[in-house]
Amino acid sequence: MPKNKKITRSAADKADLGEKVMAKIRSGQVKMKPKWLFIAGSVLSLAGLIGLSVSAVFLINIVFFLLRKHGPMGHWRLELMLNSLPFWVPVAAIICLVGGIWLLKKYDFSYKKNFTLIVLGFIFSIIIAAWLVDAIGLNERLLKGGRMRRLYQQLEKQEETLPRGRGNGLYRKNIQK
Amino acid sequence: MVKISKLSDEQLVDYIRGKDKEAYVEIVNRYKDRLVRYATYLTGDNDNASDAVQEAFIKAYINLNGFNTKKKFSSWIYRIVHNEAMNLLRRDNKELPMFKDVDFKSGVNLEEELIKKELQAHARHCLSQMPLIYREVLSLYFLEERSYEEISDILRIPIGTVGTRINRAKVLMKKICQKTKK
Repeated sequence: MPKNKKITRSAADKADLGEKVMAKIRSGQVKMKPKWLFIAGSVLSLAGLIGLSVSAVFLINIVFFLLRKHGPMGHWRLELMLNSLPFWVPVAAIICLVGGIWLLKKYDFSYKKNFTLIVLGFIFSIIIAAWLVDAIGLNERLLKGGRMRRLYQQLEKQEETLPRGRGNGLYRKNIQK
Repeated sequence: MVKISKLSDEQLVDYIRGKDKEAYVEIVNRYKDRLVRYATYLTGDNDNASDAVQEAFIKAYINLNGFNTKKKFSSWIYRIVHNEAMNLLRRDNKELPMFKDVDFKSGVNLEEELIKKELQAHARHCLSQMPLIYREVLSLYFLEERSYEEISDILRIPIGTVGTRINRAKVLMKKICQKTKK
């Protein structure tokens, strides 16, 4: 095919491209999404990110609470922990963290910064926040009153019951005597 | 009456959103050549590139209200074309497209400058041999004349990474070109 013919075809393709796009717009086949949709999207994403962070703080805080509440019997501590720890807590915390990080990555600003640093900072700040909540005694306040009272009391009760593993029945009998 | 050809891209977007959607044709005319050229560098195929650009213009129009006019429109539209081209590549499952007979519109009359043409063809051939991550930065920086910051916005990578990739790409390009010359 001669070169000039190819150039003509290419130019026609490009002109055609513009016409095709405009024809779709004019016919109403393609419509602009309303502005409120984007505003709602941003607000919901931000709320989701905050919600996930708060949930992660709360769930990690429960782990701190359980760790602290276990008695002075050192050798029983690990077993007690493993038996009474609600494993959904760390799993849910990790899911929340991953979700939060994913949302962070979706945000425009994240690629401009050192992403590893953002992720590490995010995890570190959540653990610190959870530890602070535990250290300032918010758990105790929630245990005594407030909306989360039932959950904390349930966790405390769970911790007081003896481990349900093998041979623990014997241990329970001895204690009861 | 507003003369749309004198408006900046961002002002034009504001005008399209608020007053006249017909003015979108100006956006299409301003960008179609460069976008088709960029998409062709990525996909290695003129037809695929045209499809990607057409789809990108439609997506850009649909999401025009989501564009932040404080940012650069060119980076935004390049980003959309980039995504479309990547989707096409994924669909066709070809990582390293070879250039077929492809035409590019540029300001220079290539037919009269045979040497330049040959050089360009050789450069294009070398470019086609490169991995995608280097091809995209090289074409954006040298052929589309985008700044580091714009490339960072288009490819969603930190500015430092843009610099590193360009430097590596230059070394790689040199090696490939020397190899293919032999």
